[in-house]
Amino acid sequence: MGTQSHSYRRSQEDKLSPEELERYDRQLRLLGFGIESQLKLKRARVLVVGVGGLGSAAALYLASAGVGLLRIIDDGYVELSNLNRQILYDTGDIGKRKVDVAAKRLRELNPEIEVEALGEKLTEENVREMLSNADLAVDCLDNFRTRFILNDACVELEKPLIHGAIYGAEGRLMTIIPGMGPCLRCLIPHEPTEHDKIPVLGPLPGIVGALEALEAIKVITGLGEPAIGKLIVIDGMDLSFHTIEIKRNPNCPACRKIK
Amino acid sequence: MRIIVKSFATLREIFGGTGMLYLELPEGSTIEDLLEKLREQYGSKLDVGKLVGENPNVKILVNGREIIYLNGLRTRLRDGDSVAFIPPVAGG
Repeated sequence: MGTQSHSYRRSQEDKLSPEELERYDRQLRLLGFGIESQLKLKRARVLVVGVGGLGSAAALYLASAGVGLLRIIDDGYVELSNLNRQILYDTGDIGKRKVDVAAKRLRELNPEIEVEALGEKLTEENVREMLSNADLAVDCLDNFRTRFILNDACVELEKPLIHGAIYGAEGRLMTIIPGMGPCLRCLIPHEPTEHDKIPVLGPLPGIVGALEALEAIKVITGLGEPAIGKLIVIDGMDLSFHTIEIKRNPNCPACRKIK
Repeated sequence: MRIIVKSFATLREIFGGTGMLYLELPEGSTIEDLLEKLREQYGSKLDVGKLVGENPNVKILVNGREIIYLNGLRTRLRDGDSVAFIPPVAGG
């Protein structure tokens, strides 16, 4: 994807081509969606942090929905043990850099969009630059520490963040819009112990990643009611969905200053 | 009276991998009494301090309502109540 195609696409942000109208036909038929929502998606710049289990599903659905720019971040390489859940990758991709394989796959899925691949770890030093000009971030990470770095930067820059996480056959989801509801530090006040190589049943990151894409689409288009201040807890074992009301912590070290 | 205990993630593993437990408690018992019973049963594996410290990470719910909006650890339980313990998770 060169600069030329990029500027061409930017100049076409106010309309949809006949191919785009056909590609997005089924979502354009959704009540209340319409051309305006599709153009909002086309103009949107979304950061997908982590392209593992959550990020595979989230990035595939955001690309297919027509998000204009997807910036994917991951410093990992494809491993055999990823393949029970990370549906962006094939057996032949083992050993390759995840963002390279993912970017190629997403561009093939939807050549109408831009995909930027950053093969680095998100850190306190680079997070602001990664978030610059992004409208929204999707948390597809696999540890608490980096999640808090992303949360704090999103709060500081007042950018929406879709939080998703999984464990075993369980999932969690919450949409964070700084100032409008609680942030990740309101939800998890203390930094918990990190666990390496946790159990994961493959469909769970798929379910939660797809829900994160849904929440991102809702926030970008303004449709529906995003899960702000609501922690969604999914128990795959009895297929129950629980909604827990989460309030802002007035002493939250991250978001207390925002009105 | 009989209380249903639902546990999630790492706590489910401590409670023997079963997401649902039934515990017999005397009438008038509170969340604090329930925690004491769980401590007796699961001993050192269950770090009760992490459940009940100030502003804990683990959400404790009675019939779907978080106890911080009820009467905290002194929330009284009734026969058939369902108590859920939901710790944060970080997998991706």
